[in-house]
Order: sequence, then structure tokens, then C-alpha cells
Amino acid sequence: MSFQEKNIAVSLVTFTLILGFYLLRVFQMIQGASFNSTNVFRLWGIVIVLAIFITIFATILTQILSAIIQAIKTGEKNPKIEDIADERDRIIDLRGTKTTYFVASIGSFLSMLTFVLGQPPLVMFTLLIFFGVVAQIIGDISRLYQYRRGF
Amino acid sequence: MGKSRVRNNIRKLRFFHHEMTQQQLADQVGVTRQTIIAMEQEKYSPSLELAFRIARVFNVPLEEVFSYDVEAESI
Repeated sequence: MSFQEKNIAVSLVTFTLILGFYLLRVFQMIQGASFNSTNVFRLWGIVIVLAIFITIFATILTQILSAIIQAIKTGEKNPKIEDIADERDRIIDLRGTKTTYFVASIGSFLSMLTFVLGQPPLVMFTLLIFFGVVAQIIGDISRLYQYRRGF
Repeated sequence: MGKSRVRNNIRKLRFFHHEMTQQQLADQVGVTRQTIIAMEQEKYSPSLELAFRIARVFNVPLEEVFSYDVEAESI
């Protein structure tokens, strides 16, 4: 597994955990009758901050762990990690981003559709961030799939 | 998805060039070893620029490194 693949796998796990946390909190709010704008927007903030910080932390951790594993495997003092992105990595990343945007667009449309069904704006905002995280997860899966299957 | 229609002789050419390693070739053409592996397994078709760089490393014309599988196209 290349460094890029490891990074994507870490991102996939991170966003799946964030999605799990988000859904759990939303269901807790609905059950506890505390599903109001203050709590929902607070959750928005938490999810965005978590996504940024965990992604940065996970990337650094992946780099360190890769270096340690490589050093154990090869016995080198300064192990070389292939963290450069070449043309194949860039194409896969672009295709993954395209998938992410596609899913996010469909998600935005579906979220807006809740207005047609007479739902309050809070439902739309809740769905919007849900589809945002789902889009990132699907984008990561598509990237991993292309690394494994080829194109 | 899957196997590309572009065939190549990279593995054979590496062997005949003093058993050049995938890492050595990757360093010379400026890509990662994973990309060389993907190309050898015909899971990735390189850009024209990368194809020319590979041919230049082996000092052979492009057609000796890469070929297009017409039969696969008709399937």
C-alpha cells in the first residue's frame, strides 16, 4: 500500500467516525427534544473543526508511522517515504474529487427538496452537512477503488 | 476500469538493462514505484510525456515499449 493510499484510508476511517458521531448526536437531539438551531449549528461547528484537526493530525501520524514501519522493515536510519504525488496520483485525486462533488451536488439538491416537502430550514442544514461528509467518504472509496483496480 | 488496452514491455526492458529495479526506473522518470508497478501490471496507461521518458531511459523508440491492443478494443 502506497503512502497516498494510506492517507486516503486514514481519511476514510476519520470521516466514517465523524459521520457516526454526527448521526449519533442528531438522533440524541431528536430523542431528547433538543433539536433546535443552537444545538444543530453548534454540532455543525464541532463537525467542521473535527474534520480539519483530525485530518491534519491523522496525516502527520500516518507519515510518522510509515517512517517507523519502513525503518523497521529496511533497517535504514533515514527511511525514504514515497510521499510525492505523480501524474497517476493526481488523476486519481481529480477523479475522486469529481465523485465527491457529484455526490455533494445530489445531496445539496435533496437537502433543498425538504423545503418543497414543507420541512423547516433546520432539517435542510442537518442534511446538508450529512451529505457533505457522505460525499467525502464516497470520494475516498472511489480513490481507493481506482488505486486497487487501475484505470 | 481494470486492465488497460495499452500493452508494454517495461518488465522485459528492465531485465535487459542490467536488471534495473522498479525504484531505479521510477527515480529516472520522476514517478513513484507504485506507478511503475501499476504500469507493468497494465493497470495504468501513462501520459504521452511519461511514455517518452520511459522510452528514453531504455534508449529505444516508443513503439518498442508500448503497443495498443486492437483486439481488446473490438471485444
